[in-house]
Amino acid sequence: MKVLARVRDAAVQRALADAAALLDAEVLYADPEARDLAAEASAASADVVFVELREGEDVARHREDARAFGIGLVVACHSREECADAAAGEADEWVLLPAAADRLALRLAVAAERARAAPTPRGENGAAELIRYHEALHDAATGLPSLPILIPSIENWLEADHELTLRYLHFVWFARIERTYGAERLDEVIGTAADAVRDFFAREQTGEHVLTLDHAGDEDFILIARTPPHRERAADAAALSHRIERLVRERIAEKHGPEFAPLAGLYIGTAPITRDPKIRVERLVYRAVREAARAALNVEEWERERKAERLRAMLREGAVRIVYHPIVVTETEEIYGYEALGRGEYPGLRSPEVLFQIAQEANLVWELGRLLRRKAVDEIRDRLEPDQFLFLNVDPHDFEDPTFRDMTPETMGITDPSHVVFEITERVAITDYPRFREHLAAFRALGFRFAVDDAGSGYAGLGSIANLAPDYIKLDISLISDIDSNFLKQNLVETMVNFAEGQGARVVAEGVERPEEFETIRELGVHLAQGFLFQRPDTVGAAA
Amino acid sequence: MPDARILVVDDDADSLEIVRTYLESRGYQVATAADGKEALAMLEEARPDLVLLDVMMPGIDGWEVARTIKDHPEFSDTRVVMLTARSDFTDKQRGLRAGADDYIVKPMRLEDLGRKVERNLEAARRSA
Repeated sequence: MKVLARVRDAAVQRALADAAALLDAEVLYADPEARDLAAEASAASADVVFVELREGEDVARHREDARAFGIGLVVACHSREECADAAAGEADEWVLLPAAADRLALRLAVAAERARAAPTPRGENGAAELIRYHEALHDAATGLPSLPILIPSIENWLEADHELTLRYLHFVWFARIERTYGAERLDEVIGTAADAVRDFFAREQTGEHVLTLDHAGDEDFILIARTPPHRERAADAAALSHRIERLVRERIAEKHGPEFAPLAGLYIGTAPITRDPKIRVERLVYRAVREAARAALNVEEWERERKAERLRAMLREGAVRIVYHPIVVTETEEIYGYEALGRGEYPGLRSPEVLFQIAQEANLVWELGRLLRRKAVDEIRDRLEPDQFLFLNVDPHDFEDPTFRDMTPETMGITDPSHVVFEITERVAITDYPRFREHLAAFRALGFRFAVDDAGSGYAGLGSIANLAPDYIKLDISLISDIDSNFLKQNLVETMVNFAEGQGARVVAEGVERPEEFETIRELGVHLAQGFLFQRPDTVGAAA
Repeated sequence: MPDARILVVDDDADSLEIVRTYLESRGYQVATAADGKEALAMLEEARPDLVLLDVMMPGIDGWEVARTIKDHPEFSDTRVVMLTARSDFTDKQRGLRAGADDYIVKPMRLEDLGRKVERNLEAARRSA
C-alpha cells in the first residue's frame, strides 16, 4: 500500500510514519503547495491521499478528484468543525489530531478499501495491486480477513441488532514450536487452529458470525457474533475455552502430530458491542476488543493459578517420571549413554515444555529441576554400565539456583562425574556468555562434561559454539531430517564434524528417524546418534 | 538425467548465458530469468525440476525466491540450488532456513555445476 501525504505538522508526519510501518505501507510526500493530489497519487500508483487542509480549501473537490482516480481520501482535522466539514464533503475517512498510529493506520486501510470497492476503472496495475491489497488485509497463515475490512458489515449488524458479542480468543503457543520447528511450522499450526475455531463456532453458534485476527497480537483471534451478549464468570469462560481448546488440540494432533497438541493453550474473554450513534463503529469495536482481551487475560490468570497449585502438589508427591533416550555410537550402534528427560505424572503437566513453562510462571523452576535431576540420577544409577554416559538437561534458571551452584558429584550421588554430561541449549549459551563461562569452569573443575544442545538451529554460528569449547555438540533435528537428500545439510554437518574433531569434541545427531539419514550421518563421520530410529524414548527398565 | 528442465535465475546476463549454454550442451532443457520476480512468474509455465538461483539479485533476492518455491504447495518438490559468492557457515544456515537443497560457490567451475545439478536431479528422482 502507498500513501501520498500533504502534511505540514511534524507530529502528524511522525504519526503517519508509524501508521505506515504498521500497514507495511510506503509514504510519499507531496509538495505543500500541491493541489491536484489525486492525480499525483494516481501517477505514483498510490492508494490513498492523506491531506491536512489549508485555509479555505474544499473537501468536496479533493473527494471528487480522488473518486475519479479511484483513490481513497483521508482528511486530517484539527477541530471537530473540520471533522464535520470532512464528513459533509464525503471524505472516505477523517481523523481528529493528534491521532495514535494504530487509529490512523485503520483509517488509511479502510479508506483504501472503500476506494477499491467503489466501481471505478483502475489502471492496468489494478489486478496486481488488488492481489497485494488482499494479501495485506488477509492473514497469510490463516486466510482470515483483518478487522478493518469487516467494519462495514459490523456496522450493518449493529444497525439491525443494536448489540453484538465480541469474543477474544487468546492463544498461548509454547515458544518451543517456533524454536524447534521454525516460524513456518508455527504458521501452519496456527492455520489449523483457525480452521478448528471456525468449525467450532459454525457448529455451536446459531446466527451469523465472523472470525478475524487481532491486529496487535496476530496469534489471537476475534469472533464477532450476532447473538445477545451475556456476562460470563471466569469459570464459564474457562469451560468454553477448554471445549474449544480440546477441538483445536485434536485437529493439531491429527494434522501435525501428537507432540504439537499440548503446546497450544487457549483463553477466551467476552465483551458486548453496543450501538451508539455518537461514536464511530471502529471505536466501539476496538473498545470491545480491549475489554474482551483483558477478560481473556483474567481467565488466563485464574487458570495459571490453578495449574501452579497442581504443580506444587505434584512436586510435593514427587510425581515425575524420567524417560531415557538412548544415544548410540554410529560406527558400532552400541549404546553410548542416555539422555534423561522429565515428564509430569499429572494430566495437563505431562509435556515437558508445558511443565517447564508452568514451573517458570509459578516460580518453581529450581524445585522442579532438583527433583528431575535427583530422579534422573537415582533411577539409572544401578543400570548404567561403567563406560556409559548420562546426559542431563540444564535450564538457564538452574544456574541461579544456589543449590545447583553448590552441587558436587557427592551431593548428586554420582561416583564418576566424567560420565555425566550437562546439556545446555545454544541459545542460552550465547545470550549470557560471560556468566555462562564462569559456571562452566566451575563444573569442569568438578569433573563434569558438557554439551551444546540444538546446535545449528540458527541462533549461534560456528564461532560462538567454538568459544564454548564443549565436549559434545548436539546437532539440531532440523539439520538431520532428510539429510540424505539435502546436500546443503550434508555440507553443514560435515563442517561441524571437522570443526569438532579439531577441538577434540564429539558430534551427536539428534532426531535420526530413517535408516537413510543414519547412513548419511555415518558417512559424514558423525560420532553419535539419537532418535526414534534406535528406540522410542522409554523408561530405563524397558531400555535395559 | 537428460531431458530434465532447469530454470536458471541470475541478474548477470553473461553468466546466465554461460550456464545456459553449458547445461544445454549436457542435454538439459533450460529456461532463464533475469530476476526473482520473473523467476516466480515463470514457474507455472516452465515447471522446472531444478532451479539454479543466484543469491544476490535486485528486488526479490534468491533466499526469498527459494522460500517461496519451497513453501508453494505445487512447487515444493522442485530442487533448489543456490549460487552464492560467500560460503561461510552463516550463509549456509541461511540457505537451510530458506529450504535450499544445495549450493554452488561463485565463481563456479562448470564441472562442479554439472556434478551438483546431476546429484540433485538424482536425489529428486530417488525420493519421487
